[in-house]
Amino acid sequence: MLNLQRWQTIAVITFTALAVLFALPNVLPASLLDHLPGWYQQSRINLGLDLRGGAHFLLEADLRSVLNERLTNLSDSVRAELRKQQVGFKDVTVDNGRAVVVTLRDEAQRAKALEAIHTVDPSLAVSGSGDAIQLAYSDQDLFRRKKEVIDQSIEILRRRVDETGTIEPTIVREGDDRILLQMPGIKDTTDLKRKINQTAKLTFHLVNEDIVSAGSSAPATLPPTTSLVPTREGMQQLRATNPKAWDDIQKADPKLSPEQICRRFQPQCLPVFKRVVVGGEDLDDAKATFENQQSGGRPIISFTFNAAGGRAFCAATRANIGKRLAIQLDNEIISAPVVQSAICGGSGIITGSFTTQQTQEQALLLRSGALPATLSIIQESTVGADLGADAIHSGTVAALVGTALVILFMLAVYGPLFGGFASLAMIVNMLLVFAGMSILGASLTLPGIAGLVLTVGMSVDSNVLIYERVREEKENGRSPFSALATGYERALTAVIDSNLTALIAGVLLFGFGSGPIRGFATSLTLGLLTHLFTATIFTRMLLSAWVRWRRPTELPI
Amino acid sequence: MLWRPHHLIRAHTKFDFLGKRKMALFLSTTVNVLSLVGALVFGLNFGIDFEGGIAVQVRAKEGTIHLDELRSTLGALGIGEVSLQEFGDASTALIRVQRQEGNAQCVANADRVMKRRAGDGWSVKPGPADTGDVEFTAPSGLDSANWRDAVSRVGLTAQERQLPRGNTNIARIDMTHDQRAEWCQQVAIKLVEDTIGDKYDFRGTESVGPKIGAELMHSGVIAVIATLGAIAIYVWFRFEWQFGVGALIAMLHDVLSTIGLFVLLRLDFSLTALAALLTIAGYSINDTVVVFDRVRENMRRYKKMGLVELLNFSINETLARTLMTSGTVFVAVLALVLFGGPVLYSFSIAMLWGVIVGTYSSIWIACASLVYLKLRPEQLRPSEEKSEKAKA
Repeated sequence: MLNLQRWQTIAVITFTALAVLFALPNVLPASLLDHLPGWYQQSRINLGLDLRGGAHFLLEADLRSVLNERLTNLSDSVRAELRKQQVGFKDVTVDNGRAVVVTLRDEAQRAKALEAIHTVDPSLAVSGSGDAIQLAYSDQDLFRRKKEVIDQSIEILRRRVDETGTIEPTIVREGDDRILLQMPGIKDTTDLKRKINQTAKLTFHLVNEDIVSAGSSAPATLPPTTSLVPTREGMQQLRATNPKAWDDIQKADPKLSPEQICRRFQPQCLPVFKRVVVGGEDLDDAKATFENQQSGGRPIISFTFNAAGGRAFCAATRANIGKRLAIQLDNEIISAPVVQSAICGGSGIITGSFTTQQTQEQALLLRSGALPATLSIIQESTVGADLGADAIHSGTVAALVGTALVILFMLAVYGPLFGGFASLAMIVNMLLVFAGMSILGASLTLPGIAGLVLTVGMSVDSNVLIYERVREEKENGRSPFSALATGYERALTAVIDSNLTALIAGVLLFGFGSGPIRGFATSLTLGLLTHLFTATIFTRMLLSAWVRWRRPTELPI
Repeated sequence: MLWRPHHLIRAHTKFDFLGKRKMALFLSTTVNVLSLVGALVFGLNFGIDFEGGIAVQVRAKEGTIHLDELRSTLGALGIGEVSLQEFGDASTALIRVQRQEGNAQCVANADRVMKRRAGDGWSVKPGPADTGDVEFTAPSGLDSANWRDAVSRVGLTAQERQLPRGNTNIARIDMTHDQRAEWCQQVAIKLVEDTIGDKYDFRGTESVGPKIGAELMHSGVIAVIATLGAIAIYVWFRFEWQFGVGALIAMLHDVLSTIGLFVLLRLDFSLTALAALLTIAGYSINDTVVVFDRVRENMRRYKKMGLVELLNFSINETLARTLMTSGTVFVAVLALVLFGGPVLYSFSIAMLWGVIVGTYSSIWIACASLVYLKLRPEQLRPSEEKSEKAKA
């Protein structure tokens, strides 16, 4: 049957109208768009970096050296623990990238040694026999740790490259050990690399309790050894209660010092000694965890220093029990816990009335001093805005000329009626592709435009198959109505088979391709899918309406 | 009616396509063997996507590009092979620099860049030869801030686990040789920028390290094999195995001869070229499937017709649509070739070729394969068999 059922007609019209609606924001002038609701404004195709200009980096984290460093630390702890438990050993070595190998002096002490190792880290995978013990991290543990390293790196990168929050970078994990960083509109990559290298400055300072106990938190004069630093809480309060002051601080050039901020805007501040007890570069790790059950199971933050940091921290805490130690990140004190006891093992905990979320935040802030792994650039691409503009221009011209040529061709061969319907269907198809890409939030790249042009050529092909079949049926002496109906019916298998093969290529290309090629695969695949609808059902609707209206005795095809 | 439709070809053609199958077989075999030999002997002109390397698009600040001058300036930098070509217009050029090896020359180059960008007091030296280590010396004491700022000027990123400690002005960075090779890509870009930056604007830079290049090559080969295989299997399931094999041979023919075109014209074989290859495989099979579909239909209808006659009949019946479908894509791709700009040029030329060769292969490769695969051996009528032999 040629005629569509009523619901089919309604569906076709609704679908087409929706396509137009969602494709429209891409072409509407900005002045008009401003008056429309926000969700509707956002229904636009993003331009890929090759069209809008910007920088793209693929960074690789050196996870191997992270693991080696971790194994080295483990070997230190194991050595110390074995000594403490008085287990004799010949050697504790690191088998790079794999395990720590302990060689015992006396096989008989193996059980005792294993026990000691268990106290160091119960999750270790232990193997080996006789006097040799191999210690390795379990696969789950390695996997979790890898993920942590990458997630943390992403978080830190975000803080560094987008301080102002206006660039909207894309920072995502790629595969096992890679990070994709895309910054639209950036041309000077030296500046970007400088930003990537810029660490947040994390330092530990003692609080000058003499001044605090003297009463005022912001006395008029301070000893030269001491300065005022706002607390993070204080700054957040200021931001909430006095947004203008916050704005002034952010925009100030040159930047205001912490003390100037305290004096001028009077957020909550603490007087701290200027001398740095330990620097953030000596902090190895910080994580949110919980106290053991006996002490109450509260959320706490645990942290680990390297050897140098551990020694400095030990000396400072031993001399200052009962005083507060301020942890300063950039120009804010993120926390000032009271020193409960000397912290000498290289690791310690921060307790307080924290929620789990707070401890996680604080741990993240502590870690944001240093990137957990070395990142190296393994792929880079920078496109200047004018190059992108050139690409947009040539892509647009090619697309318009290609569309015009295809329409002319169809009109010449199948006449104004059939050719016109096919061309209309093709244009609706392009609208559908635009709508689809807008809804999916896909990026349009230069190869993507090439994919669109190919779609223009391929999407009328299904109409060609149908029309040629209709011509055949007409020559076989069928009535116009019957020729159309049979033509549509019999051409369908060829239409579907021939398009599915192209779809297979498109989908595989999407799977294996990267970057701009994905854009090509997206527009091509989407175009092939949507045109199955426009070339068959949409033109069928037009033709059946025309047949009912004109009741032709002969088909002009 | 405004104008009458035009039939592209008159109805009921009776060309003896498969009568020419020996000639077609000879022609196609020659082209494909030449393509293969050409690719093996001369090699493909791989773009940086696969080879690794650097591609920089520059535009002269004034006047036109002097390629010879540029070539000799950049050739003397010690960054390996540099090739240049005009790109789009006379004031724009594409500079391609080979993949960097991470050798001692690269460290010497890093030294030059460092002195120019961070100040004369800085120097960069290689570490022990069995490692890829690099040693940075500062004019005065290193602190973490000036150190970070300085190394970012030579393209080193976030090596903060290796910050210098204590009171020193020397910092050594541990690197493997591979890591150093990746970094040397950055050094080479900086050196090119420093050398010609006063006369040229940098419009776009692309750098692919050795590791990514090898990976993309690997996944590209898999993508081609997977695509051809998946399509052949699809055709096999929808038709019969002979059709699947015929389709596979036709696709291999198209892909191989497109590779031949890349060798012949020395076109840049990049990721977009690979996309073209896969698209050609998917598209060339469009026509083939249309003919196959008709062959299948006619096999049911004419149970006693000989295979060659049946194929010829089917091809003639579908000839108009084969030419029309190829025609529409051809004109669309032609627009890409003419107006799509230099970046898409290789892709568009390959697609244009693919459309033509795909149409040819649907008829002479895919259908001829069905004859050789004896799709319908027993049903050849005796008279048909005789005339077959007579022709041969």
